Amino acid sequence: MLRLTSAATVQTCGCTTRRDFLQAGALGALGFSLAQYQAAEAAGKVDPSKSKRSCIMIFNLGAPSHLDTWDMKPEAPAEIRGPFQPIATNVSGIQLSEILPRHAQIADKFALVRSCFHRGAAVHDAGWQIMQTGRQFTGGINTPHAGSTAAYLLGRRSDLPPHVVLPEPMGRGGGNLPNGQAGGFLGKAYDPFALMADPSQKDFKVPDLLPPDNIGEARLNRRQRMRSIVEEQVKKFESSEAARMMDENFQSAYRLMTSTQARQAFDLSAEPVEVRERYGMNRFGQCCLLARRLIEAGVRFVTINAFLTVFDEITWDIHGSKPFTSIEGMKNIVAPMYDQAYSALIEDLHQRGLLDDTLVCNLAEFGRTPKVNPAGGRDHWPQCFTVYFAGGGVRGGQVVGASDPIGAVPADRPVEPPNVVATIFHSLGLDLETILPGPSGRPFPIVDNGFREISELFA
Amino acid sequence: MMNYKWSLLARQFKRPLLGCSYLNGGLVRIALCMIGFVLGSDAVICAIDPTDDAQKSTAGTQRQNVDGIVLQPRSVEIQNSNRWQTVTLQAQLNTGLLGGEIPSEQVRWKITNPEIAKLENGRVVPLKDGLTSLVAQWISPAGVGFVDAIPIRITQADKAADWEFRNHVQAVLARAGCNSGACHGALAGKGGFRLSLRGYDALADHFTITTQDRGRRIELADPAKSLLLTKPSEGVPHKGGLKLPIDSYNYRLIAEWIAAGAPIEPEKSVKLQRIEVLPGRVIMQQGEIQQMVVLAHYDNGRIEDVTHWAKFTASDESVCQVDENGKVTIVGYGEGAVVVWFDSRLVLSRVTVPFPSEVQESQYASLQTANPIDRLVSQQLRELKLPPSPLCSDGEFVRRAYLDTLGVLPTAAEVKQYVESGEPNKKEQLVEHLLSRPEFIDYWAYKWSDMLMINGTLLRPEAIKAYYQWVRGSVEKNIPWDQFVREVITAKGNSIDQGATNFYALSQDPETMTENACQAFLSLSIGCAKCHNHPLEKWTNNQYYAMANMFARVRAKGWGGDSRNGDGKRTLVVLERGDLIQPSTGKPQPPAPLDAPPIDPGLSTDRREYLAQWMTAPENPYFTKAIVNRIWANFFGIGLVQPIDDLRVSNPASNPELFEQLAQYVAEEKYDLRKLMKLILLSNTYALKSDTVAGNEQDRKFFSHYYPKRLMAEVMHDAICQVTAVPTKFEQIEFPGADFAKTEFYPEGTRAVQLYDSAVRSYFLKTFGRNQRRIVCECERSDESSVVQVLHLSNGTTVNEKLASEKSVIGEWLKENWEPQRIVEEAYWRSISRAPAESERERFVKELEAAPIEERRQVVEDLLWALLSSREFLFNH
Repeated sequence: MLRLTSAATVQTCGCTTRRDFLQAGALGALGFSLAQYQAAEAAGKVDPSKSKRSCIMIFNLGAPSHLDTWDMKPEAPAEIRGPFQPIATNVSGIQLSEILPRHAQIADKFALVRSCFHRGAAVHDAGWQIMQTGRQFTGGINTPHAGSTAAYLLGRRSDLPPHVVLPEPMGRGGGNLPNGQAGGFLGKAYDPFALMADPSQKDFKVPDLLPPDNIGEARLNRRQRMRSIVEEQVKKFESSEAARMMDENFQSAYRLMTSTQARQAFDLSAEPVEVRERYGMNRFGQCCLLARRLIEAGVRFVTINAFLTVFDEITWDIHGSKPFTSIEGMKNIVAPMYDQAYSALIEDLHQRGLLDDTLVCNLAEFGRTPKVNPAGGRDHWPQCFTVYFAGGGVRGGQVVGASDPIGAVPADRPVEPPNVVATIFHSLGLDLETILPGPSGRPFPIVDNGFREISELFA
Repeated sequence: MMNYKWSLLARQFKRPLLGCSYLNGGLVRIALCMIGFVLGSDAVICAIDPTDDAQKSTAGTQRQNVDGIVLQPRSVEIQNSNRWQTVTLQAQLNTGLLGGEIPSEQVRWKITNPEIAKLENGRVVPLKDGLTSLVAQWISPAGVGFVDAIPIRITQADKAADWEFRNHVQAVLARAGCNSGACHGALAGKGGFRLSLRGYDALADHFTITTQDRGRRIELADPAKSLLLTKPSEGVPHKGGLKLPIDSYNYRLIAEWIAAGAPIEPEKSVKLQRIEVLPGRVIMQQGEIQQMVVLAHYDNGRIEDVTHWAKFTASDESVCQVDENGKVTIVGYGEGAVVVWFDSRLVLSRVTVPFPSEVQESQYASLQTANPIDRLVSQQLRELKLPPSPLCSDGEFVRRAYLDTLGVLPTAAEVKQYVESGEPNKKEQLVEHLLSRPEFIDYWAYKWSDMLMINGTLLRPEAIKAYYQWVRGSVEKNIPWDQFVREVITAKGNSIDQGATNFYALSQDPETMTENACQAFLSLSIGCAKCHNHPLEKWTNNQYYAMANMFARVRAKGWGGDSRNGDGKRTLVVLERGDLIQPSTGKPQPPAPLDAPPIDPGLSTDRREYLAQWMTAPENPYFTKAIVNRIWANFFGIGLVQPIDDLRVSNPASNPELFEQLAQYVAEEKYDLRKLMKLILLSNTYALKSDTVAGNEQDRKFFSHYYPKRLMAEVMHDAICQVTAVPTKFEQIEFPGADFAKTEFYPEGTRAVQLYDSAVRSYFLKTFGRNQRRIVCECERSDESSVVQVLHLSNGTTVNEKLASEKSVIGEWLKENWEPQRIVEEAYWRSISRAPAESERERFVKELEAAPIEERRQVVEDLLWALLSSREFLFNH
């Protein structure tokens, strides 16, 4: 039964109101059963033809230079076009950088949006929150990650959590701002499950996923039974979100650790060596492979952080000087690793027939300055950059929008972060008019009013 | 229907009225609130037609407790034809506070001499020089009629005002967003046109607009052709879009200013003294809408309505929202502020929305004590109609107070002794006892070590130890907080002998020293001002460099900062000369602590002495509150200001009166922090139950009940050790990139809260969100729960290995052949500080008795696991 309250707001059909639906969602990762999901479907909030859809969000932390990768400007002066040459792809008319040769072979699978921009500060953390939630945080209100919203509205589809972040949440970005990789006002219940391990390590396993050997099923059951004796006694925690959250985490954790499905999904050793090597035996490559396994096992949303911080790590953040990355570092280390893993993921999903139902979107916090700086690198540039999408109903082999001749501003079809987030929701079959309950019940549209998906992608 | 006799009222107006007088005709009560103001004899007020729709309060808001009405502002003075004054009519509540705005269409408005002024869209607009008055009449839903009036004085109505560059043109550019960070206020400007961020540098902006690039931006002879106007009105393409429509007031203002020769007033002409928002405090209800009115007070006595140029934001959008014109709508319950920005000044209006519950006065009885905390908390709870929960039990109190004051669980004996004691002043005795325990020193030294960033990946081991021991020693000696901070700021000498100098080893340049000192001791984040004026706060770029220059002469010899190598020995010296260059001028900024007067740059004495005096002076509005908030948050789970180290003006306290009072108390008590802790611990507010009662379930920040909080990582860890009687070994320091180094600082039995250093390797502490001490910020600590934490409690080594350990308390119980009943009793008391309920005891005893002898130990382990993973254990409540 979906109706939990008589406080009806918007009537969406004869039987179920939007608020009913949302409150069903509020039961969270645990309470939302298949029956409720079907009722929500009936209420018109979810497109039933897309019930198998899922999303892998690859976040290119550090922010790639669009001018050296997906939006080359070979005609521009040397200080703009940079050191790399464009190469042809398997789609006539689309060129990519020579540092992404494998991308070039699968350009028919993805669609580039070369006219993305945002109005936030040119600070990593600001871009992280804007791109992943579709909004800049204001008034003390942290908006949820797109994956958390999806988890909230769609619930879980298996024993696994609905939203997983690999390999762990974003670290320092220098701005000391929230990174947008959380459930925000939906509550900690909708924070993604973070792996907290490097799947490329030899002895990789999810920390503490399984009980120690001396605790078998009988003991596990006894512990649960005994814990409930203590928990039943006290009712004082019901009005405390923190305490309710703890309880939900216990239920989620128990479900996870007792699930064969979960155990198998996380077991990368079940993959043939060739497959593992095709993705690349590094953290990012194995995260991409694990993402595919998790999607197969029913996870709705996987966020992969390509890197964990921009400090003292070789990333896309090519300022050219320490502690950041040089343009050579990008060419020799970052791009090959990335190119290999991404192409492996897309080909693998395609071969397994999963690509049609899996949106793979590649986002970043911003682009980089049109002019190469004195250190030979490029600095932060939110005014224009490229994001791209594959699968999940997206028609590959196309370019949407364009930047101006030096990649400084969108010249055609400007796209903003809420359009990007709306595109994800659209692919997942969510109605963009859906309202989330914000802090103290303030209604919050899942994307800001007036922003639609990038419709050309689905044409 | 009621029969209104407004003509009687008109006669009342003929004589001066002071204060309130009312005419009670049995049906109509008329309140007239006038301030020493004589109405002209022409004050004729029209009769009210009771069938007039405008006189019927529409439904939607049920106005209760209305005692009168109040026009705002209290007088109107308008100079020149092109100005106006926005006015609002507020309800006056019987509590003495102002209620929300009364919708204009419900009000009968009247200007007594319509030749002098008129009322247009809520604004008084001048027509002719002279004196008149604005009268408002309103009938409440209960059928009570009210009247208020304010004087209006119009001067120079025949002449338009000259526009001033500093006060008007800049205001327009700020309001239109021209000089915002995303547009021409960016450091590099936009499209070759650069303005100072939000107009902080009028002189430079005037030059840019009128003179730079051969003056191409303005056309004196034909203002409409000026780029300054054609661009934002999109007469020519403008990437920023339409900002000043041609028919707008702001467009005309700029055009008129250009036509007048685009002048700038001399530096010393009319200056903005302060801004004011009306109402400054308002009690509102769902459905009400409030127009905020912003007044600029200039030093020549001029008061201008600048509502249309101000910028508005809401501090808590779950309570109220505000649009760009200053219209406030209510969306939730509680209290929030509307933050108003005009010309680099900030002012707040406090908006209170009482909860929709019915509360009996008797429910506040428990908070009627002499303790100022109880008085001020209950005062606010009354205003918000939030009932407090009842007082907690003695047993609950002991556990709560131990965990919050010492970071340790009370033993079973300690709880029982307190519960059973009949002494009338047992609470005072307990609190005195807690404040003198050695664990108190560990716990608070740990807290201050978070704040001072004692982190083994940033300092070398010997220096870490010296820094920590200096902190610990200060807590042990109960060094007053102001002295403690002065010792850090003025530290010099060797980093091993003088532990406090390590503050300067962590921040090796004057800018970082400034930012870290402000963040740690004043809870101010001033980093923005390093490059430009702080866009939302008062701090300017010059103030930043003036402050940083206070640290310019700090130098050191020895260890240079390599986190993995070296002895960490560093000797701090202060030179007698030298200055930091302010990059925007290329010259040193005269050294000054933020907004304090500068000191003589020629003095050779240590500038930090002056800085330390300024910083720790009781008059410093941030210093005392910063520490009050840290202490308060420790006991109540949330600060009076949240986040707890963010004292921005635009981030108001949940209970400002209480915050003030506590700051005053700490200053009076000479910064003896234990006094404040005692005041808190002895208040009944601190002793309220964590269970909610009908009506306060939604409260998250007004302290109507104790908010259950997850134990902090270190405290939870230590409690697990205490319950199982198995300590953890701390043997390694963890550097980034899975790089470990051995440490021998921590003998067996060291508790987590006794660690010097946040880099000591511990998966448990990391997973449960300890402060990693990488930056000065409370945000580095997390007390939230996660699935990963639960997986660790369930399957991880910490709890399971301790339960299975040969040394654990379980072994002792079994060796001594304890009866199941006794084991269950003891397990409960050890972990959750209470006796098991009858049903609990019964079920556990049955489990224990049913277990075959070889499984007995496992069953007891599982019993203890169940307790250690219960929320009663994991939370302080």
